Amino acid sequence: MHELSMADAIVKTVLDVAEKNQAEEILEVTIEVGKLTMLNPEQLRFLLDVLKENTLLEGAEIIIEEIPVEIKCLSCGYAGSTNLDDSDHYLMIVKCPECDERNLEIVTGQECNVKNIRIEKPE
Amino acid sequence: MHKIADVEIQHDIMVANKKLAQRNQRILDKANVFSVDVLGAIGSGKTSLIELLIKKSDEKVGVIAGDVISKFDAGRFQQYDIPVVGLNTGKECHLDAHLVEHAIEDMPLDEIDTLYIENVGNLICPVDFDLGSHMRMVVISVSEGDDTVEKHPLIFKDADLVVINKIDIADAVGADAEKMVKDAKYLNPDVKIIKSSLKTEEGLDEIIKAIKEFRDNI
Repeated sequence: MHELSMADAIVKTVLDVAEKNQAEEILEVTIEVGKLTMLNPEQLRFLLDVLKENTLLEGAEIIIEEIPVEIKCLSCGYAGSTNLDDSDHYLMIVKCPECDERNLEIVTGQECNVKNIRIEKPE
Repeated sequence: MHKIADVEIQHDIMVANKKLAQRNQRILDKANVFSVDVLGAIGSGKTSLIELLIKKSDEKVGVIAGDVISKFDAGRFQQYDIPVVGLNTGKECHLDAHLVEHAIEDMPLDEIDTLYIENVGNLICPVDFDLGSHMRMVVISVSEGDDTVEKHPLIFKDADLVVINKIDIADAVGADAEKMVKDAKYLNPDVKIIKSSLKTEEGLDEIIKAIKEFRDNI
């Protein structure tokens, strides 16, 4: 259940920034979640909905953007997306789509990033 | 009057954990303590392996024993008269760098050379959380099924040492230990893989040697 600790950290981060910016209401929150994290966006959304009650976040729309996996191949230099076949999630972290080598570095797909918020504040 | 404003935050929780993990490692390095994150499924033999490492090793060992709510594992280690910090996660399925930071504060680092951090039994959630340890050891057993490795690729991709335990009962549970070795090698070509039976201590010397070699090569 590690969506709960993530949701809790997200809510704390957002409320902290909102307070510093004299927000009276938070209208929108955008979160980026990498496809390689062990986070399920739907579970994360459910827990954010629970945690936002009775806070400045209560009426906010939660936008979760999934970040695709991008790799860099240390053998042939290929950089970019990888085979995203959900039925075999081995491939996307294991094999370079260009040269089939397994010497890869994961560039994106491991994020849980609180990207931005839209707030209402006094003039 | 009110106005609408967009505020850029760009705070990545994963990066924040990683930074804390790096700080943990600096604290351990300063105290000259080598640390191993011991990961694996429930019942795979993590606690038994650490107990054997305490008994057989000539190092001064300390243990951070992570568990969801119980103190059973910490209790098992305490009988060896070594520094033990029990770390209950409450409701969480993994340790994170922040929890470990506090446990390190309670650990007498000047009395130990090696710190084993026993993670919560789970092959999924701990993957996302670097703790700051120098080495990641994953312990699995044949009784979890010989498809365990291919079903949990990420934890094996990041491992430095994989222990496949309970090989003495592989036939009885219909598991092919060689398949598990092959899958781990496919995911992580450089990883060291050791088959063991901690009950008979088969493979134990090899595990001790592998940990020592890893430490020497840092």
